[in-house]
Parts: sequence; structure tokens; C-alpha cells
Amino acid sequence: MLIFLPPSFKMDMHSKARYVILALLVLIPSFVNLWVPIYNRDSPELFGLPFFYWFQTFWLVACTGFYFAYAKLVEKKP
Amino acid sequence: MIGSDVVIVFVSLFIVFIGLGFYGKYWRRGDLNHVHEWSLAGRKLGTTLVFFLIGADLYTAYSFVAIPSGVFAKGSLYFFAIPYVMLTFAVALVTMPKFWTLSREKGYITASDFVKDKFNSRTLAIMIAITGIVAELPYIALQIVGMQSVLTVMLAGYTNSQMVQEISLLIAFVILAAFTYTSGLRGATLTAIFKDVLVWVTVIVVIIAVPISIGGFGNAFKAANSSYVTLPENLVPAYATLILGSALALYLYPHAINGVLSAQSAQKLRNSTALLPLYGIGLAVLALMGILVYGVPDAMKFLSGFPESSRGILVVPSLILYSLPGWFSGVALLGIFVGGLVPAAIMAMAQANLLTRNIIKEIKPNLSDKSEIKITKVSSTVFKFVALGFVFSVPATYAISLQLLGGILIVQILPAVLFGLYTKSLRKMPLIIGLLVGIISGILMVETANSFGPLTSSLLKTMFGPIYIAVISLGINLAISFGGSAIQKKIDSRKQVVD
Repeated sequence: MLIFLPPSFKMDMHSKARYVILALLVLIPSFVNLWVPIYNRDSPELFGLPFFYWFQTFWLVACTGFYFAYAKLVEKKP
Repeated sequence: MIGSDVVIVFVSLFIVFIGLGFYGKYWRRGDLNHVHEWSLAGRKLGTTLVFFLIGADLYTAYSFVAIPSGVFAKGSLYFFAIPYVMLTFAVALVTMPKFWTLSREKGYITASDFVKDKFNSRTLAIMIAITGIVAELPYIALQIVGMQSVLTVMLAGYTNSQMVQEISLLIAFVILAAFTYTSGLRGATLTAIFKDVLVWVTVIVVIIAVPISIGGFGNAFKAANSSYVTLPENLVPAYATLILGSALALYLYPHAINGVLSAQSAQKLRNSTALLPLYGIGLAVLALMGILVYGVPDAMKFLSGFPESSRGILVVPSLILYSLPGWFSGVALLGIFVGGLVPAAIMAMAQANLLTRNIIKEIKPNLSDKSEIKITKVSSTVFKFVALGFVFSVPATYAISLQLLGGILIVQILPAVLFGLYTKSLRKMPLIIGLLVGIISGILMVETANSFGPLTSSLLKTMFGPIYIAVISLGINLAISFGGSAIQKKIDSRKQVVD
């Protein structure tokens, strides 16, 4: 179907999807960080560390993944 | 009393530190008679160096002193520093490359430069510069408190320890002032890397060695208060708003903007910002020391020799001294000591830029390049000693509280600086009023929350639970800035119709 559309419209679809992905890469980690009840629990423990503490520390690594994907996607100009 | 091994390692590493600071002048040589060469290292720093430099802004005494001290005294609430760090980099990732690009095009060195150009208002630009300088002072003071805590632990038990401590601090500051004067941001960046290596080694050793020696984290949590395990339900609003408010504030501090602008390109800035949450792992370990210390009886016994209010700031140095071998304590303690010194240098430099470019130059516009750099260098030295004098004259615990106030002040420049990057709908008058009302309401709420006594809390009890005051006063400020601009626009367009 897409081939029947004018080329500029295809570009738009592509860049729209790109914007949505970029936004999600920043918003998902931020939502998790701000929605405290998600991680405010004691079990399961890891090396005796309550969930509250180890999850947030682990999430730092996950965030780096999200942010790095964002940086690389911005760099790759459409 | 500590052994001579600690002192020997500490002093010899400090000599290496001094050497690096002065060597900075020759590193990636540039003409240091230009402001952007001296204070932005010629805008030539790549991904790794920006990572270290901005990381140095993060690994300050705030992480060594304020956060572990809070976790030690109040428990899980102060772990908000970890999600705060993650969120602040999301904010920076989106906004700062845009700010960098604009600054490179138009030659801005401070946020105030941008505001003056964008809103064509000297008044607003000067107000933003003053807010930056004032908010930065208690932050520098906090760095000195961190350095003091290391010296206190090292000198405990010796006679004249108070005097020796003050003299040591003074010497450290004279050296710091000397090498920032000659080397500028280059010296700070080189010493930041040195400091980070020491801090990372310390953090890794502590997180492995201490839990093993006390039989797991579980034992430390058992020895601490049971409310430390998770966040008490009633503190959830406080936790979330502390994350939000602090995350919005960090990149508005003059020293953070300074770090951003020293990057070589917008993409390099983006890459290093994306990687910066990894730094937070070290911060998490430092925060956990506030709980781990409960599992180390020797350290707890040592701490009990101090008044309750000042125990918190000594947590990290005493945990290190009582759980690691002597020579290694020397390495770790020096890491913390220079961990206050390096950020203090960067902060004073950023303050000096604001004072010269955005205040003095506004009053005396025909300042030559030569006198501009001279005034910047001299005032950066003066700011350091003002902060030092401040620490000598007020109790340490009070300095930490004032830093909370600093965050509430600096976040008020957000509408002009961050929203100013994106929207054309803001006007200068509502921004000026919003900034003033934000600052005044923030100070009033802090005073109310502490019943007009000594500042210990930055949370206001509301119907939704305790909320970080910075968020409330920023909300008021935003409402005035946007609401006022909309009204002004309507009035303007009506005038046009009449004309």
C-alpha cells in the first residue's frame, strides 16, 4: 500500500515513528523512576539487599541502555 | 588514632594531585588569556573527558557526605539520590545538546548569556546570574564540609586537632586556588580523572570487602532500624518529588552548564550523558555505606564519641578507616578529600564567569578581554575563600541544610533557561515576576516547614503528604511565567487591533 503514497508522506511516517521511539526511550525509564510503588518492596532480596535497594541500582544499568539507544538513534539522521 | 601508613599514602597522593593540577596548563595547550579557553578548556573535550568532568560534578561531597549521612540518620528516603541521578540525565539528554548547539553558534558561556539574548532583558539575565552565584555558594561549602569530615576522622585523638584541621584546609585551598588560577578548567579536568580513579577503586573495594566481613548486607539491615528496609508508605510523595525536583535542578547549576559547554560536539555530549547513569552505581554504594556502617561495631563505637548531629557526615570516612587496611584507607580518604576539592574548583570557576560576564560587564560594557579574564580568575579565588570562611563560621550540619535551600533557589531559573530553549510564548516580565515569587515562596515554605528554626527539612506537609518544596515553588513560578505571558500576549494583540 505504501508505494502508492507520495514519497514525502512515507518520510513523514518514518520520522513520526522515530519520534515516538525517541520519546519512549526517555519516558519509560523516567516513569519507572518516578512511580515509586513499582519498586518499594523488600523481597526478593539479592545478597541480603532488599528489593528496594538492588532494583534501583540495577535500573541504573538499564537506564544507560535506554539512553545510549536514544543517543545513537539521534545520531543516525533519517 | 590512625597509623602513619594512612598519613604517608594520603600525603604522597596529594602531592601527585597537586602536580596534575599545575600540569593542566600545558595539557592541550590553548591561549589561556581567553575566557572560553580558561573556563571551558577551549570547548574541546571529547566523550570520555566530558564523562569524567560532569561525573566530577556528581561525585561531590553531596555523594560522600550529604547522602550517606541522610541514609544513616533517616534511612531509605535518602536513597532518592539514585533515581534522581537517572532522571537528571534524561532531562540533560534531551535539553543540553540543544543548549550546546545554540551556545556554540552564538558564543554563550553561561545560561545568563542565553537568557539575555533570547528575552532581550538585562534585568532577567542579571537576576539569573545572581541566583546562580548564590545557589552555588552553599554547594561549595558542602564540599568543604566533606573535606573537613575526612580530616576530623584522621585527626581524632590528637591534641590541637581543630587547629591542625583548619590549617590543613587553608593550605589545601591555597594550592587549589593557585592551580585553578594558572590552569583553569584543564587543571580541574585532569585532577577530576585522578580523583575518579581513586573513588572508583574505593567504591569497588568497599562493596566487596565490607559485606563479606560483616556477614552480608542482611546483618547491617538487622542492626539498623527496621524502617530502613523499604520506604515507609507516607514518604512516597516525598521520595517522588525529591527525585523530580533535584533532577530538574542539577543541570541548572552554573558548574553543570560549564561542564556541558566544554564538550567538543553535541553528539559527544549526548554520548557521555547517556553513559553517566553508570556513575550512579558508585553513588548507590556510597549511600549504602550509611546502612553498612551499622554492621561494623568499631566504626559505630568511634562515631558514638561525637555529638549525634555530626555523626552522619563522618559515616563514610570512619567506615573506611575501620574496615579497610591502613594504607588503603589512605587512598580512599584522599579520594574523598579531593572529591570535595575538585568540584569546589569547578563551581567557583562557574560563579566567577557569571559575575564577570553577566554582572560586571553589564555595568561596565567596555571591559577589555584582558581585564575580563583577570577579574574572572581573581573572583574565582575570592569565591573559594568566601565559602571557606562560611564553613569556619557555621556548624557543618547547618551547611548541609543550606545546600537544600540552594536547590530550591536554582530550580527557579528553569522556566527561562529550559523552556526558553523550546517555546516562543514566554515574555520577560512574567519570567521576572515568576522567578522572584518562586524564590520568595520557596524560602517562606522552608521557613514554615522548619518552624522558623534551624533548617533541617526541605519537605512541606501538604494534603498529599510531604512534598519537596522546590517542586511546589517551581509550580507557582511556571504558572506565573506561562499564565502571565499568555495574558500579556492577549493584551498586546488587542492593542494592535486598536492601533
